[in-house]
This record gives sequence, C-alpha cells and structure tokens, in this order.
Amino acid sequence: MSILKNKKQADYTIIVGCGRLGANLANTLSEEGENVLILDKEKEAFRKLSPSFGGLTVEGDGTDLDVLKKADISRANAVIAVTNNDNTNILIAQLAKEWYSVGRVISRLYDPERECVYRELGIDTICPAVLSANEIDKLLEKPARTKEAV
Amino acid sequence: MKGNVLLVGGRSKAKSLAQSLLKKGYRVTVINKDLLDCEKLAENEKLTVIHGDGTKPYVLEDAGAGNMEIVIALTPRDEDNLVICELCKKKFRVPKTLSLLSDPQKTDFFYKMGVDSVVCAISAVTSIIEQQAFMEEMAKAIPIGEGRVQLLEVPITETDPAAQKQVWEIALPKEVIIGCILRRDQTLIPRGDTRILAGDILVLIAGNEQEEIAILELKGGEAKWRK
Repeated sequence: MSILKNKKQADYTIIVGCGRLGANLANTLSEEGENVLILDKEKEAFRKLSPSFGGLTVEGDGTDLDVLKKADISRANAVIAVTNNDNTNILIAQLAKEWYSVGRVISRLYDPERECVYRELGIDTICPAVLSANEIDKLLEKPARTKEAV
Repeated sequence: MKGNVLLVGGRSKAKSLAQSLLKKGYRVTVINKDLLDCEKLAENEKLTVIHGDGTKPYVLEDAGAGNMEIVIALTPRDEDNLVICELCKKKFRVPKTLSLLSDPQKTDFFYKMGVDSVVCAISAVTSIIEQQAFMEEMAKAIPIGEGRVQLLEVPITETDPAAQKQVWEIALPKEVIIGCILRRDQTLIPRGDTRILAGDILVLIAGNEQEEIAILELKGGEAKWRK
C-alpha cells in the first residue's frame, strides 16, 4: 500500500464482498482509474475479477477489526458493503461510518424493512428489490403510454 | 407479575435463561430460526416460542417486541445480535437491550451503537480462567461497568490488620465500601459497629481503581496482590 502512504486521506475505495455486484463494481472502478481494494472471506471469489483489474485484493473477514485495519480503512474515502448477508453489511457499514469515520458509506440491503437502522446514520442503501420493482413499474407504464399516444 | 422479556437465538443459553427468568416471574418469549430448537424450547409450556429470523422486523413485531422491557440477543453471530438490538431500540423503542458478543474487540463499538449492555462471553471466560489459574486466594475480582467498578472477594485471616476490628476503624478509601460479609454460612450486611473476624470473607465494591489501596488496608503488607 506504499502508493497510498503519502496522502493523509488516500483517495481509494474499499469494497467488501467479491460477489457478482462487488466484482463488477471493482472492475468498473478500476477501469475508470480509481484505486480499489476488494475484500472477501474466500480467495476463490477473486476469480470473478477481470484479468485487467488493477486494484488490491485482501482475503479476510470484513467484520474483523484486524482485517479492516490491514485494509487501511481509516484512510479510505469510501466503503461499499456488498456481502450476501444484510446484517453483515449493516455491521460493516456502521463500523466504517461510526468507528472509522469514513466519509462515504454505501451498502446493499436485500430486505428494505431494515432500512430504519441506517437512516439515522447517514449510510446510503441500495435495495435490489425496490430498484427492480421501480424498473418493472416503468416498463409496465410504457406500453400504456404508447397506446394512449396512438 | 414482572415484565416481558424477549430472547432471540441461542439454544441451551436461551433454554436455561428462559427457565430462570420464568422462575423469577417474568413473561418470556423466545425467537429461534431453527425448527428443532423451537420444538425443544416449546416443551416448556409457560414459554411463548416463535419460529423465525429475529433480525427481521416483522418477526420481532409478531413476538410483540414493542411491549418488551428487555430484549436479549443470544445468536452466535455478532452482526445478527447488533441488528436485533438496533431494530428493537430504534423501531420498537425497547428500553433495555442486551447483546452477546463473540469478538471482544467490538465491545466499545456495540456500546457506541446504542446497545445497553454487552456481554462478551469469551473475555468473561478467559478472565475467570486467568483468575483461577494465576491469582492466589488473595482476592477475586469481578469487573463491572466496563471495569470502572470492581467487585472483590477478600478473605480475612488472623494475621490481617482488619481482623478483630470494627468496620468504622478501618480507613478505607472513599470509593470503596464493604457491601457484605460472608461468615461461614451467614451473610451479614455490615454497619459501622460490625466486628470483622478471622475467617470472614468481605465483599467489596471498589471504584476508581481504589481496590489495591483497600486491600492493603485490610490485609496489610506490601502489595502482594496484583490485578
């Protein structure tokens, strides 16, 4: 991590969870030239990253303080929690926001009902079910409109 | 009739805790994810058992989380326990939440997130083992309130300066009181004129790290006793 050492607040993003979403996001950010560090419990998960991925990978449990320290979390400017477990994402997001004072924290949440835990803390949430429902709703509205137009 | 208590997760822990709370007159509800565990727990007729994931708001609602006085999160996963406590606190306004924690490093973080009481089984067990293994029978100490207060068990022998003295004669630091005297099978609550005898075990409550001074006063000599 020597490239990051000179700046007090390094300009880099930590992604926790190298699933489809995590890996995709890491590849995109890396292509855009951002510094990315991706964390996952299992080494195998990193195979989802593209061969041109230029960021760092750390193998370890994202809820373990030692692992987060190793990932230099206090100097990251964004943390994105996208593991496959809502509660793990909640814990990581809160650790990042409240314990390490990371500026930007985004988290994926499958169950929108748990959002009240986040709202007060300034953690942004992405809820796939709600997003999908909105998109489907839009698609349903479209043909109706064209009919009206006709 | 005492208040309502909700236990979430935990197999044998939930069972024995539920039994002891029922005996004390609380109304106890248990949530468990595992159907077999639920059936085991339901053998106790007085217990309300709900099968479901206690980290989901609607399951907590079914269990009547809004009417609970105390919610205790006993699952083996720290993140689940945190979410249970936060949901109960923020969504259901439960006055007191308690969480079991396996990673001792996160104790302060859990308190910061609003959990009222955090019990870290691993650090409690290791400290008891450490005490049993390395500390001689000089004194046993139990930390309370994140270690700000110590509860001490101090046995008094014939040669100790405190033996044969009345409580008022002993110059204990202000932050230390003798809460109780264990004399054979009796339990005495001491007053100023209570005389301490050899063979007594004193139970001290000590704040502000004054316990060492108190023990020196009671048992004399150089600091034989170390934390």
